[in-house]
Amino acid sequence: MKQAAAIFFSTIALLTALSCRPQKVRMPEPPQDRHVPFNYVATKGMVVAAHPLAAEAGLDMLKGGGNAVDAAIATAFALNAAEPFASGLGGSGFMVIYLAKAKKVTVVNFREKAPAAARPTMFTEKGEKQAEWRQERGTAVGVPGMLAGWNYALKKYGTKSLAEASARAVEIAEKGFPVSATFSQINKDEYEKLLKNAGEDTCYLNSGIPYEPGEVFKNPDLAATLRLIGAKGIDEFYKGEIAKKIVAAVRAKDGIMTLEDLAAYRPVEVEPIKGTYKGHTIYTLPPPGTGGFHIIQLLNVAENWPLKDWGHNTPATIHHLSETMRFIFADKDHYDGDPDYVSIPVAELISKDYAKEIRSKISAEKTAGTYPYGRFDKVQDEKENTTHIGVIDKDGNIVALTQSINDFFGTGIVPEGTGFLLNDHMADFSTDPNSPNAPRPNRRPVSNMGPLIMFKDGKPFLVLGSPGGTRIFSSLSQIIFNIIDFGMSLDEAIEAPRFFSYTTEGKARPISIEPRIPEAVLKALEKLGHKITPKEPYDKYFGGAQGIMILPDKKLIYGGADSRRDGVGAGY
Amino acid sequence: MNMWRTLIANLIIFCGIAASSPAVQTAPPAFELPLLITSAGQSADVSIASMLAKKAELTATLSKLATGKDLENQKTLVLVLGASMKGLGSAGLDTDKEYERIRALLAEAKKKNIPVLCLHLGGEQRRGELTDKMIEEFLPSAKMALIVKSGNKDGLFTKICKEKNIPLVEIEKTLDTVEPLKSLFKK
Repeated sequence: MKQAAAIFFSTIALLTALSCRPQKVRMPEPPQDRHVPFNYVATKGMVVAAHPLAAEAGLDMLKGGGNAVDAAIATAFALNAAEPFASGLGGSGFMVIYLAKAKKVTVVNFREKAPAAARPTMFTEKGEKQAEWRQERGTAVGVPGMLAGWNYALKKYGTKSLAEASARAVEIAEKGFPVSATFSQINKDEYEKLLKNAGEDTCYLNSGIPYEPGEVFKNPDLAATLRLIGAKGIDEFYKGEIAKKIVAAVRAKDGIMTLEDLAAYRPVEVEPIKGTYKGHTIYTLPPPGTGGFHIIQLLNVAENWPLKDWGHNTPATIHHLSETMRFIFADKDHYDGDPDYVSIPVAELISKDYAKEIRSKISAEKTAGTYPYGRFDKVQDEKENTTHIGVIDKDGNIVALTQSINDFFGTGIVPEGTGFLLNDHMADFSTDPNSPNAPRPNRRPVSNMGPLIMFKDGKPFLVLGSPGGTRIFSSLSQIIFNIIDFGMSLDEAIEAPRFFSYTTEGKARPISIEPRIPEAVLKALEKLGHKITPKEPYDKYFGGAQGIMILPDKKLIYGGADSRRDGVGAGY
Repeated sequence: MNMWRTLIANLIIFCGIAASSPAVQTAPPAFELPLLITSAGQSADVSIASMLAKKAELTATLSKLATGKDLENQKTLVLVLGASMKGLGSAGLDTDKEYERIRALLAEAKKKNIPVLCLHLGGEQRRGELTDKMIEEFLPSAKMALIVKSGNKDGLFTKICKEKNIPLVEIEKTLDTVEPLKSLFKK
């Protein structure tokens, strides 16, 4: 009721403001309690991101005449300064772009590649120390694609230079900002890795210990690096002095990356994959991004179920969707890989016929008990990392950008004097040397990301994405169900309690669940054969989604940002 | 300068104890070096404690999975309270095994007459069911507790320390722990 009132009054306030003073729109203030659903409202353009300073950077770019791509890259640069633990120059990502004039959706893939010296057994031969070599040593670092991807998108679809797009990030890194409770907690959780790899004197620690909420974090080295890139271009990063520092840092920690690996890196532009759900069309990533096609699979299976009649987060809804997630996991293990090298039957997997097949295996009365399973990975990650940006500009161009350095604070390795963290995305390769997703020269590891743009009647309706590892497809699907089937507003849909389940070796894992879902529902699920693992009420485990909803009839744009992290919207 | 720092640190400890447990002793207990630092719950806070001891120039051994044997030649046991599922997972432990380890370690410390100093450095965010149960079980074994204030918003530490006559010192920020630590240990 409180949420509905907040949305109602915010809309009324905006409409009143529009009718009285069309040139000056006063946006309603977000509530003190971050968890209370709140839709940011705008009429021309909107940016949603995981840090207020980054969202502001994007908004200023829009107001300054930049288009959605310019604003997305300005936001992405700013996140490197303001949310450095989740993404940055040392990482990678995927960008779904909608070009309004051409009515075209395209995808830029700038996922890391494995160095040329990578081998399928490079981690398994480390035995019990495998996890350390996959996550915290130089071998964990994939060849970063972030800057090449941003640059590609700016040059082809943007209007601004790298220097212009990175200007606000330079300012944030230089002036600093008080860290949030989220930053502080993550800084504490990753302390040992930072101490080991970045050292006691790193800017990522405050006098050798983690930052407390409110303490000011500055990163002058990053500011200098961004200025250098702005002045000299991306060759400085891939072939120049920064490249030498990256390789030196990686190899000092037993890594295998070379200058040739960096110089050879290129992003690729690819066609999106397409799915439909109850009259809506979804465009998202093809492999090696897998979040997108698993979302389409989950929506396909659920499409013929009466979710609305079952009700939101009722035993029937949670049971059926959890079972579907478990069946989809079989495909995740079995087929995922780099499509440049591995044949993946995506069209078949996202077909309605295949969804029907999965649906036929799910009983309303009990859990299946055993599930088909992939041949490879036995353990799924619990990571909460990564970040997502959504942008729409005044001309209707849209960007959904998910980017990461993998684990929070990546490997913790900082090339000397550069201020940015190197990724540990080599950990996204399979632990099984026989898997199609095993590390091999120049291959891209599979990613769980799934930024998407959804259309209704041929017009953009929803822009969505989230971090959250293997939970990404499940969390984004639940947001879509919340909006389309349960009639929630955008941020209500984002803040609503989430759940997730999967399988290992054909056996069901418990349903991880935010305990805001009533006890009676959990008990009913247990009667159906599920085990339940309660998480925190608003748990980062389920991601930190950002969304934009476009309502052309009302000439309004809503922004929704997840309170599980520090997400905000900024519009005008 | 050092003398002033020590005086200020003593004042912090004195005021902290006076404010939080007025019925208890007014002079801070003294601990001796060397000290063994271990975790109850395997959060990264134990490594932060080790860094704080280094900054306080204390001779300390960090052993996240310390057992009774590690108490040989030690004069103080520092127990850093804070549970982390990630930390427990990395250590290959479940909560039951962690409880068993700490119980055995505290029993050995008691047998050897080694005093326990409990730290809670994670503030409000390092609370929760798992950590709270450990606080309730292990804090009563402490001779003194040094905690970041935001972790005691609900008064859990105050309640236990009052009940068990344990001097409690609240520190605003983690880094502020360095000076009190210096003062607590005889060199």
